[in-house]
Amino acid sequence: MAVALTDEQRLLQDTVREFAARELLPVAAELDQQARFPADILAKAAALGLMGLTVPEEYGGPGLDLVASVVAQEELARASAGFQTIVSVNNALVCDPIVRWGTDAQKRRYLPDLVAGRRLGCYCLTEPTSGSDAMSLRTVAALEDGEWVLNGTKVFVTSGVEASLCVVYARSENIPGAAGVSAFLVEKSFPGLTVGKVEKKLGIRCSSTAELLFDGCRVPAENMLGARGEGGKIALATLDGGRIGIAAQALGITRACLEESTAYVQQRKQFGRAIAEFQAIQWALADMATRLDAARLLTHRAAALRGAGRPCAKEAAMAKLFASETAMWAAHRAVQLFGGYGYIQDYPVERYFRDAKITEIYEGTSEIQRVVISRRVLAEA
Amino acid sequence: MDVIVCLKQVVDPELPARDFAIDPATRRQVREGRPLVLSTYDENALEVALQLRDRGNVKVTALTIAPQTTVGDAVRLALAMGADEAVVVDDPRSPARPGAEIAAMLASAIRKIGSFDLVLTGCESADWVERVVAPLLAEELAATCVTFVSQVETHDGALVVRRQAEDGVHVVEARLPAVISISSDETNKPRLPKVKDIITAKRKPLQTWSLEDLEPPGDGSMADVDIRDVAIPRRDARCEFIQGDPAEAAGKLAQRLRALKLL
Repeated sequence: MAVALTDEQRLLQDTVREFAARELLPVAAELDQQARFPADILAKAAALGLMGLTVPEEYGGPGLDLVASVVAQEELARASAGFQTIVSVNNALVCDPIVRWGTDAQKRRYLPDLVAGRRLGCYCLTEPTSGSDAMSLRTVAALEDGEWVLNGTKVFVTSGVEASLCVVYARSENIPGAAGVSAFLVEKSFPGLTVGKVEKKLGIRCSSTAELLFDGCRVPAENMLGARGEGGKIALATLDGGRIGIAAQALGITRACLEESTAYVQQRKQFGRAIAEFQAIQWALADMATRLDAARLLTHRAAALRGAGRPCAKEAAMAKLFASETAMWAAHRAVQLFGGYGYIQDYPVERYFRDAKITEIYEGTSEIQRVVISRRVLAEA
Repeated sequence: MDVIVCLKQVVDPELPARDFAIDPATRRQVREGRPLVLSTYDENALEVALQLRDRGNVKVTALTIAPQTTVGDAVRLALAMGADEAVVVDDPRSPARPGAEIAAMLASAIRKIGSFDLVLTGCESADWVERVVAPLLAEELAATCVTFVSQVETHDGALVVRRQAEDGVHVVEARLPAVISISSDETNKPRLPKVKDIITAKRKPLQTWSLEDLEPPGDGSMADVDIRDVAIPRRDARCEFIQGDPAEAAGKLAQRLRALKLL
């Protein structure tokens, strides 16, 4: 694995950093406070090519490598973790499984629109009674007159309000567990699909999180993604990529904490000098910088492995676990360094603190990441 | 129409002042170890060229004279932003050359490229701010010259340009071929390269020439500048409190500013 970025990856990093500086940073606090979905900025991100980073050129994407995608997403999350969530879901949980398992017709129908921002994607796995135990899902798919009919409820669907294409996992076979699950590409306009409750969240507030209700929702047979009963495998393999995206988000939040803290402690004076001159403060910065680098190296390794088509479940889980817990820890430290100013909305670290928490929860909690990692450790022993 | 945009790579002007240093031997800014970027107004010039291409049948060539070892990022950015091709004249000494010398070399490189209708430069470089390259280049190429232009349009084979001046905006019609120096305004903010163009930039034509590939400057070269000394200005900050009620304080403040020749 290369430790240094390639020339192209650096140019991409500069470009996305400038995009974030122009479009996201000036409004990130406002998007958060108003819980406003950033449709206008997403359109600009799509024009730049950020909505389908690894989609091959023949389907309208830039065909980027996964490490480059991580680099770009860290820059977005540095400015707005909520914005990056929307981008990450579209990239890793929607475009990626279509690229990997879609038929040529499905790819031609959906990928160019997902890349260009004409469609936004969402991922429907979690249900009210199946979270960490995802494969106990109860949404059913029954074949009727050559069409699949879906019934059930999906919750915590990122971009559930605005998305027009849903990757839905449902039980098509009368078998418990992953083997009975199939994946479907469901257009929001298909009859029988409605948006239910829209959640009010602690963080990543500019992204929507909604319940989707499937009530006799009719899906053409050709919209099954992958083969019958392959959905469980697709869901879990897709999550390996999703976890790398969340790790990238956590990197962005951690870097934001480090950069804002570094600037603040140099100008904040107490006891007659900048607080950066106190060793307790210096050590906090040193720990933040060290953990950020470690998290980034884990994340880039996972991305390099997945990009090379090699097994990466353990490495993706490690990256997600370490990066997300680092983000939460760094946000906790940053608020403490800012003192009272860290607790109010005039400074951004209050937002980082709220945004960081979700990275330890979604796309597999820290506990589930430890399960994934320890299983591999024991199996390899 | 063939448009050539001249680009210069400079030490990032956004760097903190503590990273700015002068090499006493060369009397030039130290570049080693500092991030290099395209000079600010050169990016505006490239944007103006790309806007012309967006509107019509225009080929944009990026031209730079620079040490080949460091110029990669600048060329990659220019091609990713949309330049059709790039020419690099590899010159390790270029950062130390005065603008007049660079103008003569650019003229030679442009003659070697062959056809051109319009040459765009930044109105000044972000490091030396000499503002001489465009006028001297126009003289060398026997072309029309307009400086401090923010917008360029083509009209019946001529150019109509908006030029920023002390007394407002001049709208100037210029005959081709022309050399135009570009300043910035809200219409020529450099575009960001698309991700796809970053990937495909490496497939675009890139020529690298050595100094031997250029014809040597003639006797009439205008490169006759000798830099005797360079120093970093010392900046002192002092704070003065003006006492009194608001009306009184305002009067004293006005007197003080006048005494300092700031009003």
